[in-house]
Amino acid sequence: MAFLFRTVSRSAEGREIVRTARVEGDRLAIGRAPDSDVHLTDLAVALHHATVERVGPRLQLRVEPGLTVELNGRKCASGTIELGTGGDILIASHLLRFMPTPPEADEIQVAVERITEGEAKLDKSAERLFTLAPVMPGKRALAWLLALLVLGIGLAWPIHAYYERQQRAERFTRFQADEIWSSGHLSQAHAALQHDCSACHVKPFESVRDTACAACHAGIHGHADPFRLARARPDLDRWGRIQLAFKQAFNLPPGRCIDCHTEHQGPQRMAPAPQHFCSECHAGLKAKLPDTRLGNAGDFGRLHPQFQPLVVAGWRGDRPILRRASLDLHPREDNGLKFPHALHLAAAGGVAQMARRLGMGPAMACRDCHQLNPDGVRFRPVEMERNCAMCHDLAFDRIGGIMRTLRHGDPAQVIADLRALYAGRTAPAPPSLSPFARRPPGSASAARERIQFGRGAGAPGAEAAIRAVFSPGGACYDCHRVEAPPPGSLAWRIAPVAFPTRYIGHGWFDHRAHATQSCTSCHAADRSQSASDLLIPGIATCRTCHGGERTSKPVASTCAMCHDYHRDEGAPAMLIRQQVRGQRRAPVPIPAAAPEAVGAP
Amino acid sequence: MATGSIPRTTLGEGASHEGFLRHKGFRWLKIALFLCFAAGLAYLLIDVQPRPSGGSWYGYLLGTIATLLILWLTMLGLRKRAMTRGRWSLKGWTSAHVYLGLSLIVIATLHTGFQFGWNVHSFAYALMMLVILSGIYGIVAYSILPEALSASRGEMTRPQMIDAVMKLDRQLQLAAQPLGHEDTAIVSASIAESPFKGGLLSRLSGRRPRCRTARALALLRPRLVGTVGPGGEALEAVVTLLERKAAALARIRRHLRLKAQLEVWLYVHVPLTFALIAALAAHIVSVFFYW
Repeated sequence: MAFLFRTVSRSAEGREIVRTARVEGDRLAIGRAPDSDVHLTDLAVALHHATVERVGPRLQLRVEPGLTVELNGRKCASGTIELGTGGDILIASHLLRFMPTPPEADEIQVAVERITEGEAKLDKSAERLFTLAPVMPGKRALAWLLALLVLGIGLAWPIHAYYERQQRAERFTRFQADEIWSSGHLSQAHAALQHDCSACHVKPFESVRDTACAACHAGIHGHADPFRLARARPDLDRWGRIQLAFKQAFNLPPGRCIDCHTEHQGPQRMAPAPQHFCSECHAGLKAKLPDTRLGNAGDFGRLHPQFQPLVVAGWRGDRPILRRASLDLHPREDNGLKFPHALHLAAAGGVAQMARRLGMGPAMACRDCHQLNPDGVRFRPVEMERNCAMCHDLAFDRIGGIMRTLRHGDPAQVIADLRALYAGRTAPAPPSLSPFARRPPGSASAARERIQFGRGAGAPGAEAAIRAVFSPGGACYDCHRVEAPPPGSLAWRIAPVAFPTRYIGHGWFDHRAHATQSCTSCHAADRSQSASDLLIPGIATCRTCHGGERTSKPVASTCAMCHDYHRDEGAPAMLIRQQVRGQRRAPVPIPAAAPEAVGAP
Repeated sequence: MATGSIPRTTLGEGASHEGFLRHKGFRWLKIALFLCFAAGLAYLLIDVQPRPSGGSWYGYLLGTIATLLILWLTMLGLRKRAMTRGRWSLKGWTSAHVYLGLSLIVIATLHTGFQFGWNVHSFAYALMMLVILSGIYGIVAYSILPEALSASRGEMTRPQMIDAVMKLDRQLQLAAQPLGHEDTAIVSASIAESPFKGGLLSRLSGRRPRCRTARALALLRPRLVGTVGPGGEALEAVVTLLERKAAALARIRRHLRLKAQLEVWLYVHVPLTFALIAALAAHIVSVFFYW
């Protein structure tokens, strides 16, 4: 009986080195101890690890207490191997392979092999071990992973959100994935739209169109007829043509709302339009649009036409003819009144004396007749009863303590009232003229008597008084142009009176913003001898304080201070915005459209 | 990639010792500086309304330049696989890669108009800056570390370093034969442990907190005092071998640390470049999608 060992090891080059040994006997002691039958050098092997004994047709395996081996792949502390089938015992890194042997055979062949994974890991050719490759994920895999991740989050997710948005109609109040595309906060005015990209970006790959703006801003009208606007634009230089070509290539129509109203520039407010925005066209408008009625305007201080206020140029019957006229032409106003401002504002004289008596102060002031509207921008129309009658009294009779006054504005009533006054002063009719007197029918003398009485009763005092009222020195004649009746008639007429409610309709002027100035510093009322003097100050007066956008004058004034791009009526949007933002002390009204003139016949 | 410290000889021009940084008398540095200066000057001179941004014509111009530059810079990954000489040598290409890549800091920043936010656009910008920063690290690493790396070898090749550890392992194997079971477990743990064990952090720091060899030394060395006889001799032999192994491992680890520091930036630079190109695609598509 013997065990025949075949120990296989490998050289550094991978060549097999086979050694054989023979152990006589039925029993094998396996361990690291030098006196073992099978000497295994692995430090994981105990000095006396296991014994294998041949018992009949099988091998009995016993392992030292507390230790284990692997028998045919299973960890165990004892076991048997059939000689006929053979078996493997793995102790630490050593594999003992008992070859199938006939039970009656004398020798049992055992192959001993060391499974040397530990040496393979230190392969000399492994320069790669020194690189980072074994401890890092591959660069290529990492690149793909990151790129797909970024594309998924940065592109696919927002696009999905866009199409999701198309399916729903409600407003979006929470974060939507396509917001990560937003290049910056919306302006403060549009902050509510921050979750609703599609409110403006209607179609993918199509730039924002004006229709998207008009969906909310329905009342805003354009600046001018688009064709005239296009003609008025300055000629494109080479650079402008290049830009236009690019815009065309990328389907960006010129002149869109967002060209001026830029968005995604942070939570800011709309900035006032800079001057060049207007002057680009208006500085040379005459050359581009020869038929325009507007003068060239490029800078309030240097290039701006004289004001052209609306004046009553004449009359067509009772209707005033309103016409704009440049102040350079010194237009006169045919308003139908006689009113010397200078006389009324004089510091001395009858008017001043009367003013003192009425407690108006040392002399009359502008405010005694001209009162601001509640909005403070313009003045209430002067009214005879309110503003003139305290001095220009129309009283003609006193009954008890009550003064009777002529009715202003109604000459026919005045004539009737005066007739009635004088009729009341004649003697009572004789009893013979009483309707109840008895008289024979067809009495000529009675009829004659009645006519004669009637003539004498009303006529002599009344007619003279009526003439006096409408003639020089009379109450009407003092202030009004009086049209005399044909001879023999008493149908006096007063020429109608009219003023424009707003002289300068296309530029904004707020009187309250100029409250620090005296009225006469702009309006030369204290030197005006006639009501037909137009007291609207010219541009030179404004320019004493106001200059253009860049000026040394106290008030730098861009076009937007008086003019609006979109609106014609009311305060310019820039001033309204300043007020809303609390940057402006004097409130700016937003008036409704007003009629052009009030007429007072 | 050529390194700044490895000189290269060009026969036609005599001994030439210029690396990619000083290639042709800093030609690409000058070009990049000119590009930055011109972009900056134009940024200051062009009055973009209402404020400078990537959406103005100048913004689009800078964005286009930056995009083309990024794509071209990425091409180095293909170009480096073909080493050539001449006007468009790989060295020249690398030099241009470095300096034009650095010029992106200026060009792309001006493209943003200094408008940043939590959006895909600023994300692409941030990725680009990370790629550039990792590139800067790479330049610094390539000009400092190769020297230290050669010094750390101690006149040994890398296989020799591994071989030294393997030999010590084999000697340990023999020397530990007389030891008891518990002690041999400690020693075999040291043998079983690969010198290359540990992840990225351990490689970059060069530290291995739970090194089995260090642990074996810490456990066995105090026992030298109390052990006598044949067991004591074996233990002494084992401890001596363990100390030598620790020294060999330290050399390997120092080498690994330098090598990791030299290579790690590419694991940031390359994958982030592709993430950047993806972000750039998202940036450009989103601009035109919501045009």
